[in-house]
Amino acid sequence: MNAPSDAVTLSRPLLHGLIVLNLLYALGLLVLFVAGLLAEDWVFNALGVRSGEHRPRLVLGMRAMVIVGLVAAGVVDRVLRQLAAIVDTVRAGDPFVASNARRLQLIAWWVFAGEILRLVIGAIAWAATTKAQALDVHVGFSFAPWLAVLLLFVLARVFAEGARMRADLEGTV
Amino acid sequence: MAIVVRLDERLHERRMTLTELSARIGITVANLSILKTGKAKAMRFSTLESICAVLECQPGDLLVFDPSLPPEE
Repeated sequence: MNAPSDAVTLSRPLLHGLIVLNLLYALGLLVLFVAGLLAEDWVFNALGVRSGEHRPRLVLGMRAMVIVGLVAAGVVDRVLRQLAAIVDTVRAGDPFVASNARRLQLIAWWVFAGEILRLVIGAIAWAATTKAQALDVHVGFSFAPWLAVLLLFVLARVFAEGARMRADLEGTV
Repeated sequence: MAIVVRLDERLHERRMTLTELSARIGITVANLSILKTGKAKAMRFSTLESICAVLECQPGDLLVFDPSLPPEE
């Protein structure tokens, strides 16, 4: 077995493992959100929120972040499932199909949405931070994900063209 | 498709079966059937060359344009 087919064989269980991990992460966030509503003092004290005038603002910011985190988990789920579907077509030996071009384009849009959510989290952290206590999350700006979005859109076009050529070739004797 | 493949007639003239032709030119019977029944979208020059060589005919003996047939979409 050569390296590329090894990678395809490995990527399927890996992607399915990541889908499960992401769902567990979303479940954890949901539990945190509900627990924060039911036992606000206990949860936010445990998260290190100090008492004072700034507390309601920080609590609101953290709740908003959890909600954005849940949405982001949904985005990651979409990306992973589309990727798993593409891997399945590679395993079946026919990746140059129109549906894969569509899937890649969807992944590009979802990764784009994920980056927007990252910026939203940064904005929430900035808005919730006071002189008394900072909402300390490290959401640094990186060019790599934006480049990935661009590459994914280009790749989607390449796949669409490949699928068209493949369809042409199918009826050639 | 207004292009008609006259493979059946040429095979009949040469008293040759599709299986024999397949064995001589190295193209599967399934693919030759697609060609024979007019379901092929395109034909390689190399395929045309092989068939013409074995059946001793010209491309025009194999392919005919029939304007009465509807063109391909």
